[in-house]
Parts: sequence; structure tokens; C-alpha cells
Amino acid sequence: MVRMETSRTSRERLGDAPAEEHEGEDLGRLLSAVARGDHQAFETVYTRLAGPIYGMVRQVLRDAAQSEEVAQEVLLEIWRTASRYDSAKGSPAAWALTIAHRRAIDRVRSETACARREQDTAADDAAGMTGGDVVADTVAASLDQQRVRRCLDGLSSLQRESVTLAYYGGYSYPQVAALLGVALGTVKTRIRDGLIRMRDCMEVSW
Amino acid sequence: MSILHSDLHLLTGAYALDALEPAELDAFERHLTSCGSCEIEIRGLRETAARLAFGVSLPPPPAMQQRVLDATYQIRQLPPLTSPHPHGQHVLPERLARLRRPRFGIAVAASLAVASLATVIVLGIAQVRATHRLDSARSVAAVLAAPDARTGSRPANGGGTVSVTVSRTQGEAVVTAIDLPPLPSAEVYQLWLMGPAGARSAGLLPSAQHGRTAPLLATGVSNSDRFGITVEPAGGTTRPTTAPLIVMPLPT
Repeated sequence: MVRMETSRTSRERLGDAPAEEHEGEDLGRLLSAVARGDHQAFETVYTRLAGPIYGMVRQVLRDAAQSEEVAQEVLLEIWRTASRYDSAKGSPAAWALTIAHRRAIDRVRSETACARREQDTAADDAAGMTGGDVVADTVAASLDQQRVRRCLDGLSSLQRESVTLAYYGGYSYPQVAALLGVALGTVKTRIRDGLIRMRDCMEVSW
Repeated sequence: MSILHSDLHLLTGAYALDALEPAELDAFERHLTSCGSCEIEIRGLRETAARLAFGVSLPPPPAMQQRVLDATYQIRQLPPLTSPHPHGQHVLPERLARLRRPRFGIAVAASLAVASLATVIVLGIAQVRATHRLDSARSVAAVLAAPDARTGSRPANGGGTVSVTVSRTQGEAVVTAIDLPPLPSAEVYQLWLMGPAGARSAGLLPSAQHGRTAPLLATGVSNSDRFGITVEPAGGTTRPTTAPLIVMPLPT
């Protein structure tokens, strides 16, 4: 029988700062360290971003195995392209999650993924929007969740549905229009208005 | 022109959520090269979208962390860009913007190829950690990196998908499967190379982790072979004894 080895390999390498040195550091500095090949800094980046990346990808793809695969690809892409992160264009989290969302969308728009997603949708819907793992979430994540929920509640229902179907559902806006039975132009503006209201509600700085 | 532009400007939200379809995406990105205010708005909306992701954060499967951290030792990082960067330069001449587009396309294609290779490397490492067959992982990597590598995948009867990457010059192929129905412990999935002279065993598929098997390396693959997978008694057999759940030609 094949058994997975659980022993941790030593990741100590020349030039890596000790892990605890990175703990409170901001993501931008961490990414610069990652770009220089610092594996410990990458481990800290992983602990900060793997949850949102995996959670969002899981919302879009539904299928657990595929979501894990895509989340892995995204995290390795962050490792590989850390030197290309440009703080002038946005925060490190936005950079990483943009990569992640695009990768999830690429997957969703390939045919096989769609077929499997449809099978999984019913079961997952029964389990609730964020699945059964909410209890295990960190306190920080649950604060984020509360805030996002509160701000989503502040949108009109058309704005809310347009934004969530596009982002969490991975639908293109013409698909969203078809799902909601409203005009293309309406969805286009509701997504934009809705996002702007979310931005202001969450006091996003950029 | 101005009506068209204000219309395009309304697409910032859909763009920030990756909700544009290809034709419109192209038009919008062309518009972006000359729309500084769009760029600023998109930045804020992308930050907002990132918050939406934090709002649905979920702990990933625990084994994923070690796999990803291990894989970083196998992946060379991109060097920083050193050429002068068009920083804060919102207005790109149209011809330059056009010239850039194909290169961007190639970069995206290349990065997707590297990413899927990275996934296989991750799976390959899982395999090595499970079986200590370093040589096998090296051969898997050699097939995947071969200049003539071709990949194809097909659904199997009864559920699941089988993917094959073949290098004809090396006469080797890497086979993985996702979501095949689980088997009782007395049975295995066996891979066959089916040529004009009949079927020969190419090995047993490793048991699946999270629905996905570790890559199986098939050697001695010739151009006239097809791949088949059957359910056989544990330990495998010398000839297929059940109807194949999939038969596929070498990917082209």
C-alpha cells in the first residue's frame, strides 16, 4: 500500500531568515524576500494567502480536488513570479488574488470543468455558501467574513447578485445577465456600482 | 467616440471581476492603454475583489502546504524586469500597444504551461515521497519537459478523467487520472499499451489522493499504441480480463 510520508523535510537553507523573523512583516516586504529565494518568507506568505486563495477558488470551482490543484498552481506562481510584483499597481493581496481568480476562471471556462462543477453544485449548495469548515477559520478570517457580508447586505439585490455571480460564481457578465433575466447594460452598471459601494463600505485604500 | 468611451468605461467593474468575454476584453484592454482614470478605478475595484476572497477564506487541505513548499525547491524563479518600465505612462501609442498584445498572449500561454507543469511536479514529488522512486520522478519530469511532449485527456466510462502526456522520441508517457470511481481493496486499475500485437501491461495506477492518482510512467510506447485502462484483481494481470473503461490513442 502506498503511504504518504509525513515527515517534514528540512527547509533550512543558506540565506533564509528564521521563520519567526517574518511573522509581523507586511506582504510587500515578504514578497521582495520571496523574490530573492527566501523559502521561510514564502512560508509566511503561504499562511497569509492560502486560505483566501483556496476559499475563493473553491467558491468558483466547487470541486475540492480541482480547487486544491488550482490553489497549488497559484501559490507556486506567486513563488515563481514574486519579482514581478509591482507595488505601484496594487497591494500584494490584490496581485495574488487576481492571479488566483483568473486561474479559477480559466479552469471554469474549459468544458470538462463546467460539467463537473454542475454535478457538484447541488451538494455544495446544501452545505451552505462557505462549506462546513467555517468553524476552523481563524478569527481574522471571520472578521473579514462579517465585514464582507455586512457590506454585501448594503447593496441592492441586483447589485449583490451581479457582483457575487460574477466573482464567486465565475460567470461572465453576459452570463450573469442571462441568469438574472436583465439587460446586458444593466448588469454592466450594477457590477460597477455594486463594487464601488463595496469599496467604500469596506474602506478599501488603494 | 466619447459615447463609445464612456460605455467602455462602465466595464471597469466587470473587468476587475474577470467577467468580460474575450472579444470585449480585447477592446477594453485596448481602451485601457489610453484611459488613466479607468486604470485608477480598476486598481480600487481589484482591491475590493480581493476582500471578497478574504470573506470566503477556507483552510486548505493540510497536506497542501508541505507539497507546495517542497515544490518551490524544484521551480526556478523569474528574474526581475530590468528594462525601463512604462511607469505612470498611461498613454501608449496605439501601434506600440498592438505590438505588445501578442507578446502578452505568449507570456500568458507560457505561464500557464509552467503552471500545469508545476502541478505535475507537485504530484511527482508526492509520488517520490510515497515510494522513494527518485528515478521515476526524474523520468516523469523528462517526459513532461520533452520538446515533443503532447498532452490529451478523456473522460472514462463510469466517471473520471484520464490524462496522458507522451513523448514519442523518448517512447515514454505519463498517465494520471482524476476522480475514477474508488475500487475495493481487492481490485486495481491497470494501464495497458494496446498495439497491433495485443495488449501489454504498462503498470498499475497508484491509489488516488484527493481523487487524483500520482503520475504513472509508461515506457516502451510506440506510435501505433493506444492506451487502455481496465479493472483487475490486486497485483494486476498479464492480460486484460475486463472491458476497458477507456481506450485512447496517443495525443497529437
